[in-house]
Amino acid sequence: MVSTISPRLVSAALLSVGSLALAVSIIYTAQIPALIGLGLIFWGIIVQYVTTEDYVKKPLLNATSQSSLQILAETLKKLDYSGKAVYLSPKYLANAEDSRLCITKDEKSRFPTPEQTIRENKPLADYPEWLLLAPPGNELMKLFERTANTNFAKIDLPDLESVLPKLLVDDLEIAEEVKINKTDSKIRIELLNTNYDDFYRGAVLPNSIGSPIASAIACALAKVTGKLIVISKDQTTENQKMLIIEYQIVQGS
Amino acid sequence: MSFPLGIWDLSLLLAINAIALLITSEMLSPSYGRINILISRRRLRNAALTTSALFLATVAVRIVGIILGT
Repeated sequence: MVSTISPRLVSAALLSVGSLALAVSIIYTAQIPALIGLGLIFWGIIVQYVTTEDYVKKPLLNATSQSSLQILAETLKKLDYSGKAVYLSPKYLANAEDSRLCITKDEKSRFPTPEQTIRENKPLADYPEWLLLAPPGNELMKLFERTANTNFAKIDLPDLESVLPKLLVDDLEIAEEVKINKTDSKIRIELLNTNYDDFYRGAVLPNSIGSPIASAIACALAKVTGKLIVISKDQTTENQKMLIIEYQIVQGS
Repeated sequence: MSFPLGIWDLSLLLAINAIALLITSEMLSPSYGRINILISRRRLRNAALTTSALFLATVAVRIVGIILGT
């Protein structure tokens, strides 16, 4: 096990030695201890400032998300649900804070009404024609809301378009650049150099559920637009640099 | 008892620290796992840019001083 040095301890040590050197320099009017003292105080503050976040290695992130999606893919295959995943808007949910996706038995199956989905608000409500699931990006979407200090149900699409790039690039550092294009009922999002780029190598994405990041954005879009969302494209470019996700806004019942 | 450093000394100190921080923030690997202190690259870059701005401010003060002095 790798032992980690507490940044607080390092910072406190640098600050105390620096302060001592500075005091000595003032008492004896000496330049060298003053330079040393100021330098140590400076680095003490820097260490305290830059070491406040926890990190996990990127391969670990991808490995854990891939296996859970694989389990979901196998379960859906066993249950023989082949319809496209549809991200539900808050009017289909008893708890508007949560997100759910609906998978129909096949493309021809009848889509549920809001009354049906609200009545059967269980994590896994099985029906012959459709089932409700918690999306893989549900918790990530909640993290988006907490980080942006915004309830997505209370903002509109132009607001989300301005919030999302800052959230993904500056706050959560998921991608280096975000481009959003909206045309009629389609929304195209391009993410440059995402943390999820390795995820797409060999990942199984069943029933257009999407990767965790695509799913989280779909949940956010469903809340913001108040309409049903389908992920129509979720793939990286050949060099894995750019992640392209396309969403289709669907009119519900 | 008086503080033994002038603005020019502080400027030099800031310049050295700014260079060290800028180089570190650019060369820091985000994926290397064997580290003892976990560092946020974004915050390190912010600190580097702030220190550089402070150094440039001391240079500006010096230049203004020279211009007004002549």
